[in-house]
Amino acid sequence: MSTLTDDPPMTSPATNPLAAAQVHPTFAGVLRGEWIKLLSLRSTWWALASTAAVITLVALASAMSLSATTDDPALAQGIEQMHGAEVIAGGFHFGMLTIAVLGALLITGEYATGTIRSTFAAVPSRIPVLGAKALVLIVLTAAVTLVSATLSYVVTMLQLSQYDLVPALDDPGTWRVVGGTLYSLIAAALFSLGIGTLLRSTAASVTVALTVLLLLPGTLSFIRLDWVETIVSYLPLPASSALLTTGAAETQGAYLSTQASLIVMAAYAIVPLAAAAVTLHRRDA
Amino acid sequence: MIEAHELTKRYGEKTAVDTLSFTIAPGTVTGFLGPNGAGKSTTMRLIMGLDRPTSGTVTVNGKPYGQHRSPLREVGALLDAKAVHPGRSARSHLRTMAATHNIKTSRVSEVIEMTGLAGAATKRVGGFSLGMSQRLGIAAALLGDPRTLILDEPVNGLDPEGVQWVRQLVRDLAAEGRTVFLSSHLMSEMSQTANQLLVIGRGHIIAAGSVQQVIDSVASGAVRVRSPRSGELAAALATDGVTITSPEAGMLEVGGITAEHIGEVAFRNGLPLYELSPRRASLEEAYMFLTQDAVEYRSEPTTAHSTTDQKGQNR
Repeated sequence: MSTLTDDPPMTSPATNPLAAAQVHPTFAGVLRGEWIKLLSLRSTWWALASTAAVITLVALASAMSLSATTDDPALAQGIEQMHGAEVIAGGFHFGMLTIAVLGALLITGEYATGTIRSTFAAVPSRIPVLGAKALVLIVLTAAVTLVSATLSYVVTMLQLSQYDLVPALDDPGTWRVVGGTLYSLIAAALFSLGIGTLLRSTAASVTVALTVLLLLPGTLSFIRLDWVETIVSYLPLPASSALLTTGAAETQGAYLSTQASLIVMAAYAIVPLAAAAVTLHRRDA
Repeated sequence: MIEAHELTKRYGEKTAVDTLSFTIAPGTVTGFLGPNGAGKSTTMRLIMGLDRPTSGTVTVNGKPYGQHRSPLREVGALLDAKAVHPGRSARSHLRTMAATHNIKTSRVSEVIEMTGLAGAATKRVGGFSLGMSQRLGIAAALLGDPRTLILDEPVNGLDPEGVQWVRQLVRDLAAEGRTVFLSSHLMSEMSQTANQLLVIGRGHIIAAGSVQQVIDSVASGAVRVRSPRSGELAAALATDGVTITSPEAGMLEVGGITAEHIGEVAFRNGLPLYELSPRRASLEEAYMFLTQDAVEYRSEPTTAHSTTDQKGQNR
């Protein structure tokens, strides 16, 4: 060994601008890193903008189709029991689509480009990265949902006012629907992030996430077997339906009770993420 | 300082790295040589804690990489220049890394300046040439001002000016007492940049030591002999294990025998010699010889287990 070491002078820590004791990973730092990472990509802005646009446009479309409903005598009385907030939340499913893609891309994009190696080299404990990604995703999903809800409220106002359905801002029912939408979208986003971390491939993750979130309920609804219907009622979309209605409508067609919905949606968010966290440390990056 | 002890990594059936033991000392530029698939990149990933070894251990500056309080201060790595999100700017990429360690943005600007990326820092990485990506990778490696640098093929795709720059940079970093471990498939580059070498093939170490030691460990090259009576000399030298070729009239390339021996044979036979010059094997030749069939070296004394000893003997 001695031939290899000539004991050369080390750089003096005093002259080193980075020698300060505070230069080491902290969760706040990792969170800031993830924040910069996400906002420095155009695809993020596209995903957020299209989420807001789609939710708003579908809300507008369902508000405009109210006139068709009232023209049909068979459906006309349904409008009596309708809450304006439900019309506004009508674009929620479509928002789920883009939010789920964003959630998956947050991690699969790193595996696809190899950036994950820089990420894990900087944060070898890895789990804080997943935690930071989840937090950033929650914040962005919340922001885009609130923006979408506001936009939907504004653009549907004209139509809804004709039927006296403009949701009152002091009505708890309104906030229940907004909160339910927010809760469900965040759950969907975290579900995708968990699936993405487990599967790593963008195509596989997006396929699995969208199938479970959006495709399966419609597909399985053709099968009229009790046990299949039970499974369907626990899929994210039907399970979240109780959260997207005002209390009054809960009894009409919602599959699960509010409480059960909250728990089921939380499970969709947490279970894949927890599994991902457990395996993240063991697998090769 | 990088220390590997019986480091082994298997991917399913394939053994990428097989019981590697080595020490990379601070203050040196150590070149990591080996043909494609030899296990260089795997070894570097294992050092960085990105892949888990199947068995064995590797430490950097005394600890497994992941256990350092400030990993980027300890080790800066360039593993794959193209492993950056193409949609992000060079500056944003560096800022995301800096943020995790609470490294100030001024340091990001500093490494951008150092690596000559100032003009391209806000452009998206997707449009970068390989040379530009290498500069970004080196900037990322330097970000934490680390004590140890691990660079996988850093000069790949660089223009001559860039190659010159990397060469000087790694020498300067080593002169400051840092550990520099870099791989390259360019032998000539290694001979000019590295002062220590670690040669691997099929996951095994096949040679280690200073550049000169590695060259010398290879059976010495041919001896060039010029004589007006070359035909007689060739006949006198022709014994078992000696190869003789005559590239031109009056000149012989003699292998498998020392220059001293040839001189004695010529003297005994009264043959005049105009030239008697041992031809030193180039690093390129030594490397080709060492790696031509890595498997055959498995049972040689230069295998992984004995590297440390071998270095000891070489002092």
